[in-house]
Amino acid sequence: MKNQYKILILALVFLIFVLTFYFALGTNNKNNTQVMVLKKLPRIELTSLYEEEKKISFPKINYKNYYIINIWASWCVPCRDEHPFLMKLANENKVKIFGINYKDSKMNALTFLKELGNPFYDIGIDSNGQNSIELGAYGVPETYLIDNNGIIILKHVGPINKDIYQKILDKIK
Amino acid sequence: MKLFAYILFLIFFAQSAISSSDREIEIYKNIRCLVCQGQSLNDSNSDFANDLKKIIKDKIDQNETDKQIYKYLVDRFGDWILFDPPIKIRTIFLWLIPGLILIIGFYILYKNTTFSQK
Repeated sequence: MKNQYKILILALVFLIFVLTFYFALGTNNKNNTQVMVLKKLPRIELTSLYEEEKKISFPKINYKNYYIINIWASWCVPCRDEHPFLMKLANENKVKIFGINYKDSKMNALTFLKELGNPFYDIGIDSNGQNSIELGAYGVPETYLIDNNGIIILKHVGPINKDIYQKILDKIK
Repeated sequence: MKLFAYILFLIFFAQSAISSSDREIEIYKNIRCLVCQGQSLNDSNSDFANDLKKIIKDKIDQNETDKQIYKYLVDRFGDWILFDPPIKIRTIFLWLIPGLILIIGFYILYKNTTFSQK
């Protein structure tokens, strides 16, 4: 009887280990890029790409509509891939897009926009990448959809593709 | 006397400079470079790592505590950015299991030795 009791305890301990490891291995322990989603957009202030005296600050106060913040650079190749989607969103007046020009030169940024079109309502510059880090960005391109309460409701790391474009449309409906 | 004061000042200044940079390195070693393969900020020279290093340095200069700095990074990049997983409900077993195994091991050892003595 005592031996049976011991075996039962051992089996129970073994079961706890197996279940713990089974569930622990099943969970995603890799990098989660969605940490900032459903959080308030941190406050940042950038200098305008067009006028050095003008400041652009986020989140937008008393802003009634959703808006997009897109981090981009002229030297970033994937930014060229996503540009048609940004142009489409801007041309169809679906949502206002604010750009953060990341570690770029003003001249190259302006040439990029002249060449591919300008989907941005306004652009601020982040010359050293510190403001992008403040938003929880890893690099370029990155896109944030912000609701009228200043909450990040979508974050995408990498170039916008057809799926993400559709996701943005679904969110701003 | 003046020289002595000057040397003392230099020693004090050097000490504070060293401890600050030591602290930076300790923090860099605990932070994962998220765009690199298994490297800490201390091992990496990527753009992302250098940007984070600058932010951490600024925060140290602003007298923020290690806890505040880690919280700032975890708030933006999640627990994965830390090499040491924090104690949370989801990770509690990770911390408890080694201790539990040790206790069970000691218990078995104790039982076996007392039985064999009898």
